[in-house]
Amino acid sequence: MKKTIGVIFGGQSAEHEVSIITAHVPIIQSLLALDKYEVIPIYIAKDGSWYSDQQLNKLSFFQSPGWEENLKKFKKLQVSLNNGFEIIWPGLRSIAKKIDIVFPAMHGTNGEDGSLMGLLRMANVPFVGCDVAASAVAMDKALTKQVLESQGILVTPYVWFTASEWEKSKDELLTDIKKLSWPLFIKPVHLGSSIGISKVKNETELINGIEVALHYDDKVLVEDGVQNLIEVTLPLMGNEDIRVAEVERPLNKTEFFDFSDKYLSGGTKSEGANSLYSEIPANIDDNLINQVKELGKRTFKILGCTGIVRVDFLINKSSGKIYVNEVNTLPGSLYHHNWRKAGVSNIELVENLVILAEQHFTARQRLTFSFQSDILKKVSGSKMVK
Amino acid sequence: MKNWITRYNPRYVRSLVYMMQASEYSIRDFLSWYNRTSDFNHIEQRKKLDFTLKASVLFLGGGLLLITLYSSLIILLFSVFNILGLLFFLIGIVLIPFIFPYLFICLLVILKILQLPLEWIIIQRGRKIISEHKALKIGIAGSYGKTSMREMLKTVLAESKKVAAPPSSYNTVLGISKFLQTLKGDEDVLLFELGEYYPGDIMRLCKFTKPDLGIVTGINEAHLSKFKSIDKTVATIYEISDWLGQGRPLFVNGENGLAKNNAPSQSQIYSRDGMGKRKVSNATTTLAGLDFKVSNGEEELNLHSNLLGMHHIGPLLVVLQIALDLGLTKEQIVEGVSKTKPFEHRLQPVYDSSGVITLDDSYNGNPDGVKAVIDFLGHLNGHRRFYVTPGLVEMGHRTEEVHKEIGIWLAQAKIEKVVLIKNSVTHFIESGLREAKYSGEIIWFDNAIKAYNSLPNLTVSGDVVLLQNDWPDQYA
Repeated sequence: MKKTIGVIFGGQSAEHEVSIITAHVPIIQSLLALDKYEVIPIYIAKDGSWYSDQQLNKLSFFQSPGWEENLKKFKKLQVSLNNGFEIIWPGLRSIAKKIDIVFPAMHGTNGEDGSLMGLLRMANVPFVGCDVAASAVAMDKALTKQVLESQGILVTPYVWFTASEWEKSKDELLTDIKKLSWPLFIKPVHLGSSIGISKVKNETELINGIEVALHYDDKVLVEDGVQNLIEVTLPLMGNEDIRVAEVERPLNKTEFFDFSDKYLSGGTKSEGANSLYSEIPANIDDNLINQVKELGKRTFKILGCTGIVRVDFLINKSSGKIYVNEVNTLPGSLYHHNWRKAGVSNIELVENLVILAEQHFTARQRLTFSFQSDILKKVSGSKMVK
Repeated sequence: MKNWITRYNPRYVRSLVYMMQASEYSIRDFLSWYNRTSDFNHIEQRKKLDFTLKASVLFLGGGLLLITLYSSLIILLFSVFNILGLLFFLIGIVLIPFIFPYLFICLLVILKILQLPLEWIIIQRGRKIISEHKALKIGIAGSYGKTSMREMLKTVLAESKKVAAPPSSYNTVLGISKFLQTLKGDEDVLLFELGEYYPGDIMRLCKFTKPDLGIVTGINEAHLSKFKSIDKTVATIYEISDWLGQGRPLFVNGENGLAKNNAPSQSQIYSRDGMGKRKVSNATTTLAGLDFKVSNGEEELNLHSNLLGMHHIGPLLVVLQIALDLGLTKEQIVEGVSKTKPFEHRLQPVYDSSGVITLDDSYNGNPDGVKAVIDFLGHLNGHRRFYVTPGLVEMGHRTEEVHKEIGIWLAQAKIEKVVLIKNSVTHFIESGLREAKYSGEIIWFDNAIKAYNSLPNLTVSGDVVLLQNDWPDQYA
């Protein structure tokens, strides 16, 4: 009997639609072509309802007019985490399906930030990608910088603050921010796919930019803009042994690489996330390429990543300094366009990630999480106090 | 039981009309499809029914007929309201979907009879036009390669002459007649593909198109299930030789054994090595095209074509000869040959953004064409190669042999991945691969659509994917 693999996507996140694309291209399409697993699509709607139906295995379902209405015809799922991950279609004759492996395809908050991973850990089910800690740290751009900086990795100078801090100490924060080198980048710390990010050149733009970022998140990062910039990104895959894809250079169409550049401009339907916006491999010095790959691997290790990540870098062309900019624990569409250039087909990519998930799970199973204790016997109400 | 219910699908009539159209309204082909089909649910897959006047009349007529039949049964049930009436009703319900296709054929026959006078007028007009037309008429016969030859001739001769040719689908007397009515009358060359399905077809078309010159591109098992024996295929194709007689030139493909061995003595035999005194040397073929040198004594011509594969050299020599006879200069010929390129679905390279090169050869469905393409793939270095095929149709009693050979050729060419579509013939390809100790990977898919959809997930940058042949719905 085939193992069941549940692909969880959608979710209550600004990147809901991107998640639908990632889930289908390449994950579900490759799993179906691979024909080794029973593929169970698990879709979390924007209102938080969970659904599963074979029709959701097709991207075309989400492209058809009135699909959100059609979705409501499906039964809402219940989930059991009782030593295994089980989805249940409730009713007079409720049907339960045990999921053997989970493939999270959720971007952004409530999915990529470690919360889903925590749920899956509780269920004791193998899942693809980074575990709780790595996901949570990588999701917070400020925290990522703090962790990497502490391990000697170069990051651009930055200031971070919460919404309440901004309200209370705006002037002090502005004083700190002005010590950075303009132009500056403002980022909501928890969002991916470049949502809510702005590049600012003066104080007016800065304040507007912060307001925009605070609209999306309650924690904001302001950082230096690197001069003579070369922006590159590198997908990596593995657990202990790390495999790198090609160093990719986004070809900036706008002043910086935003959501629409990544997902909406150009590209072909079959490629999922846009594949025409970048140069693969990046046409930069071989020495830089090698350094980027090494830095990528170190970052992967420091954050304790597993499965797949994408590390973004900023390079100062003149000084040759390479800064780690951010880490994405679920690259859009798994950056399969890059892996294909690196000689890894979608099927190989997806299958490898499933194997890595099982290996990571097996390794964790070897750990001891409980031990025999007689502490309970020693407790006898108020006598214990004696 | 499940298949039986599919005959009550509301789209049943539409499916039958679709298949009539796909079979070019040939009753024989339609019946052959109908008799081997059991599931009528998913008939319209690759194409959609084109609501031409004829198809619309059949659709409406068929629909009305079916409604009338079922209504009659219901009236019968209520007018004779007893056990016997119920029995008749039930028998009728079971039998109608089985009888209906035959009644539907009667409808087609009536329609054909009604069309006869109109068709007769069109054919008579066509006959008059062709008799009076002064152009050089070239007839191209063969089991395969006709369209390639037509396109090469058209491209090169157009450098200095006015050339016209009916589209491939216009290969019947009626189709050609319709095409002739579109001519201006000032054309220098007319090209005709002479299609053969049954004995006598080529002579009938020759008598109508009156070719001054003929080409036999090759003979093989294509349509063998219609001809029943390869000898009949050979005899039918060489009806062109009977028409041309002694005085008019006939070019024959020497790379094809059946064509060469049965060629009349006066034929000019062409191949990748040369034709007559013309010799070929320095031939190379890559994804960028085909380059070769043609020498005739002191004279030399270096030719480049965008066509892929050595098997195009022979036909290009025929084009060269005809072009020279028509007075084209060498410069015009070199220029014309450089413009020849793969056309839609015939070894046409398509480059995608992920760096995968797809060679669309989906209209190539004959063993010689397949051999030529595998030969070409075998010469491609530095690429991982995928060969995707549902096999070939209409191979008659040679089905097993032909497909085993394909498997052996693929193994010999060391193709890395062979993607096979599950059907009645592809397991023979697998047998051939195993027999030749194939060391690559065989990947199976339930149908062609699943395979095509999965290819982007199987391939990486630099891969070459060859899509070999596509089965029309009537063979699926």
